Amino acid sequence: MGPVQHDLAGEPTFEPMIQIDMEIKGFVSAWRHCDYVSTYMARMISQNRSDSVRHSNLFSSAFNELLEVAFRTRHADGELACRVSRHGATDRIELTFPCVPEERQFYEEAVSQVAGTEARERYLNSVSGDLAPSREIVLLELAVDYNATLRVEEADGDVIRLVVDLPLEGLQH
Amino acid sequence: MSPYDLLPRFKAQYDANNQEFSISGVVRPQAIDELGPSIALLRDAIGRVRGVLYVNVRRLTQMNNAAFHAFSRIIIDACRARPDLKFVVITSSVVGWTSRKFGRLSGIEPNITVEEYDSEFYPGQGFLEEGGFVPILRSQTKMTWRHERAILPRHGMRQGIVMADICCGIGDFAVLVQKEFQPSRIVALDHSISSLNYARQVMREFDIRGIEYTYGDASEMLLDEAQFDLVTCRHSLQIFNRPELILKELYRICKPGGRVYITNEKNSHCLGEPRAESIRWTYNEVAKLFGHFEMDVELGPKSRRYLMEAGFEDIRVETFMVTNLDGDPQDFADVIAAWADVYAGEMATRRGDGAEFVARFRQGFQDHIFAALHPKGYAGWPIWVASGRRPQ
Repeated sequence: MGPVQHDLAGEPTFEPMIQIDMEIKGFVSAWRHCDYVSTYMARMISQNRSDSVRHSNLFSSAFNELLEVAFRTRHADGELACRVSRHGATDRIELTFPCVPEERQFYEEAVSQVAGTEARERYLNSVSGDLAPSREIVLLELAVDYNATLRVEEADGDVIRLVVDLPLEGLQH
Repeated sequence: MSPYDLLPRFKAQYDANNQEFSISGVVRPQAIDELGPSIALLRDAIGRVRGVLYVNVRRLTQMNNAAFHAFSRIIIDACRARPDLKFVVITSSVVGWTSRKFGRLSGIEPNITVEEYDSEFYPGQGFLEEGGFVPILRSQTKMTWRHERAILPRHGMRQGIVMADICCGIGDFAVLVQKEFQPSRIVALDHSISSLNYARQVMREFDIRGIEYTYGDASEMLLDEAQFDLVTCRHSLQIFNRPELILKELYRICKPGGRVYITNEKNSHCLGEPRAESIRWTYNEVAKLFGHFEMDVELGPKSRRYLMEAGFEDIRVETFMVTNLDGDPQDFADVIAAWADVYAGEMATRRGDGAEFVARFRQGFQDHIFAALHPKGYAGWPIWVASGRRPQ
């Protein structure tokens, strides 16, 4: 697997760190898979961070939320691909998973709102008002609490690829 | 069901005496129903308390948004229903996300405050971190290392092991161990950010590999259970007001069959000739001074008892004396001078000691330096080494 390349002009090259692929049927067969995968991958990629233990804890915390989002997909077939790559202080998660067309539209709208100026306010309103967090709020929280940037990338077929950049080195002491 | 599924992942408790609800571990439910008993406990606690309810999340390693929303909603609703009630959420600076995530709650309800409990954790840390103490710490390690390099193999140190150095300070011991014994991995943890920054800088400059420095609270570590063959904790139990809490954690992260190695002092046993009386008086006073700040620098000979009470077996204890004859006597003298600056300086001032006491106190250090540099003199600083094996 070579370096991750993107079409966006001027974007730095992210070097691949680790990738895990699973049948979506297998993945959604047990909720604990979110915890297993996020914990395992966090430990693997944090070894050479300046504070491996804290980085692993933060990364697992953020990544688990993304996996829980993927877990709730309404599409029953296909593959889940979790890829982590790195550029300097930023770790990039690319989560590719099957979804139905309505879900795809939902994610595109949700991600576009994450970048809005009222993201923090909407997040606080949700915490104080909603019984449970929606998938949109989960994505919003990544931006609010982890300074994550998110985007949806083009992918073939009934799949969606969420690309999340996490500058966790900068969040640490 | 895998063995993993059978492990308790989180625990919620309510302490009525302290009006404290605490939740710890990994809380990642699929549905809120899984939290039923914990949520009921929190509701019940809210119904019982007057004034303040402390919500302790210091040992909360992970909590997903579903659980965070569920607990937050109960707290926020309680604030609205009972304006007389205040909530204090106690987070740990070690678990990076907790202060950020729970910190948002105070922006929603003014009756919720969030405090990082360990922001002023070690009573002695402030004294020892500041004022250019790093060169002195390095000299101290250099002096003790001459002895410990021969002692460590008797306490479980060998090539290829996985070890942790807890309260690693500026990391110089970890570096010496890495060079001398080549463990396969060293995790070095400390609660001082400035010390860790120094340690990482040294690691970069000297291209040292195999040491992972991590910020952490020795009494509540993020490290997994039973993963180290050897856990070292040097000169630290004595400057912590509850050493048994640290020992409990050292035990937890040590593998069954592995060993925990601790070193501590008995400061009143520092000695010198000539001027023995003045030196003895001053170091007796050092012990009392540290006692005033809830630190026990007389802990060395108590190591055996502490290890036994923590559940260790095959306990080994030995002592060594760092002296002015070990290397350059000036190194010894420099260390004493640095002690004098801190102990007879900031610490004595903070205790409110008078000028007459401070003058006599300082004289004992001067006499110790005199003994160290005297052509016929002898000056010593005794250290107690102890280790215990975690039962299989």
